[in-house]
Amino acid sequence: MKNLLQKSLNQLTIFAFIVFALSVPSYFLLVDWIWLKELDENNYLIAERIENEFNEQNISDEKLAENIKFWNEIQPVSKIEYAEQPLLKDSLYTIRLENSYSSRKDVIDRFRGLKTNIKINNQNYVLVVETNVEETEETVAYIAMVTLLFFLILIVGFWILNRRLSKKIWQPFQDTLQKLKSFQLNSQKQIEFQETDTIEFAELNATLDKLLQHSITTYKNQKEFTENASHELQTPLAVLKNKLDILLQSNDLTERQYHIAEEMNKALIRSSRINKNLLLLAKIENSQFNNSELISFDTLVIQSMDALQEHFKEKNISIGSHILPDVEVKGNSGLTEVLINNLIINAIRHTVPGGAVRVVLEKSGFEVRNSGGQALNPDLLFKRFSRMSADNSGSGLGLSIVQEVCKLHGWPVTYSFENGEHIFSVTF
Amino acid sequence: MKVLIIEDEKELAKSIVEYLSEESYLCEVASTFTEAMNKIDVFNYDCILLDITLPDGSGLKILEELKKENKQDGVIIISAKNSLDDKIKGLQIGADDYLTKPFHLSELTARIYSLIRRKQFNNSNIVQQDELAIDLWAKTVSVNGKAVTLTKKEFDLLIYFIGNKNRVLSKSNLAEHLSGDFADMLDNHDFVYAHVKNLKKKLSDAGCEQYIKTVYGTGYKWEG
Repeated sequence: MKNLLQKSLNQLTIFAFIVFALSVPSYFLLVDWIWLKELDENNYLIAERIENEFNEQNISDEKLAENIKFWNEIQPVSKIEYAEQPLLKDSLYTIRLENSYSSRKDVIDRFRGLKTNIKINNQNYVLVVETNVEETEETVAYIAMVTLLFFLILIVGFWILNRRLSKKIWQPFQDTLQKLKSFQLNSQKQIEFQETDTIEFAELNATLDKLLQHSITTYKNQKEFTENASHELQTPLAVLKNKLDILLQSNDLTERQYHIAEEMNKALIRSSRINKNLLLLAKIENSQFNNSELISFDTLVIQSMDALQEHFKEKNISIGSHILPDVEVKGNSGLTEVLINNLIINAIRHTVPGGAVRVVLEKSGFEVRNSGGQALNPDLLFKRFSRMSADNSGSGLGLSIVQEVCKLHGWPVTYSFENGEHIFSVTF
Repeated sequence: MKVLIIEDEKELAKSIVEYLSEESYLCEVASTFTEAMNKIDVFNYDCILLDITLPDGSGLKILEELKKENKQDGVIIISAKNSLDDKIKGLQIGADDYLTKPFHLSELTARIYSLIRRKQFNNSNIVQQDELAIDLWAKTVSVNGKAVTLTKKEFDLLIYFIGNKNRVLSKSNLAEHLSGDFADMLDNHDFVYAHVKNLKKKLSDAGCEQYIKTVYGTGYKWEG
């Protein structure tokens, strides 16, 4: 990709090249025309002068003939010949001849010739005058050279100007671009654009400002909505749960009714879990967490694995671990605990009975591997409510929370599938 | 024993009262900040259930007031706010326990039971049921004077049963109690069965009568 100025520079360069290229023949034609016109004038002057000079001699015809013969000999580019009848019309022409003055015989020069009538001693003579003209090729070459020089000056000028322009004129634009790049919707910090006196940039900034303002407001409202909605749901959920508790204690409850109540309770557990997780997500996104505590990551991992030991046993999952001691990271301990638990629980949930889970903690990162059938789509994996398995009893938010927690801490989290193992790795 | 329920949600307060009244608890309800402050000024309670978000004030303020007046009432915060900050703040000010909505009434009962027990007997706190003796402080159990070794989970389960005597406790309820934050993420609640089975076996091996009864196929009840 090229930048904007580079692109316009290329176009300008091409255009300038065409203009300069066209200017070369134009200049040549013009210069050549001037040349020939001036030479024709010059030839007429010479003819006139010759005529006058011969007439001023006032010599006899014999002497004149002798003089003319002698003159013809010493003036190879001019010729005077006696003519019975004067020419009807002067002729002007251009010829190429060997330059008889040149030491080298093979040099061909261009000459402009004039064939005209002169009168000496009242007799008609035809005078031919030829004057050397610059050759076409040479003229073209000189003009082309000068043109090229100016073309180069122009391009270098463009290039230098371009660099200065991109620094100076485009500076507000670059500033805007940088600010947009570093903008994060969930940080909720409004961007202050630089003042500019360029109409286009000012307009751009104003438009962006409006757009961002709108996005931030919408985003805020949406998040507040999630948080408020989840919060408001807690109470009715609590009422439902408590009523079920009371129902379970009725003396005349049949076994069938008990099981229905228990199923309702399970569904209730699930909805409060979804609710709780949504609330947690909203809170993480609202950056309500301090993430600068020093956490002993290994302790948290061991704690989590101990607490979940019975669930590994329950599903007959073999667990392997490689946990480096004294792995300390900066973050939020509560959220980090959630992160570890979610990853390990996710592994337990999706490992078939008799499978294997491996937990690895190194200085550089944390990894949870579990045996599985085939690779999952990593694009959908971390998305809210996108379930990858037939087991739909989860909240559908566990991995989204993992991702959000990682995002908050600036730890990249990735999924890969290698040798029949799902691998979730968090890099510190 | 007197319990004050400070809760603005009427239905919730009603359920708590209904559930607790079956035990020997005498319940009073305050649904606003002002009402609660008035009651606290005049009466003493064994336990106060405190909702943080009240229509006319913060529950934390009530807690501060209680502590200022050096009242000995036990306080359990019941809040819809699952925020760690509130929890820490509440416990720092002097709450004895913290429960997040939605919770099981059996969980609440067990917490109230433990709290009142802790408050009443400062040194030795032994629950006796016939041949079974449970020391809540030392966390030891003995049958006919002979010690029974229980795991942390089993002991926890036992206390939960004792705090909810003669009540039906469903498997999912026990699962939630036992694994706290994890229970709602793992749908397999069979581990409850394993823990109950172990507890029953250890107690009966020590010569204890079988108080834990299975009801409705999957639920449990401590009879005694």
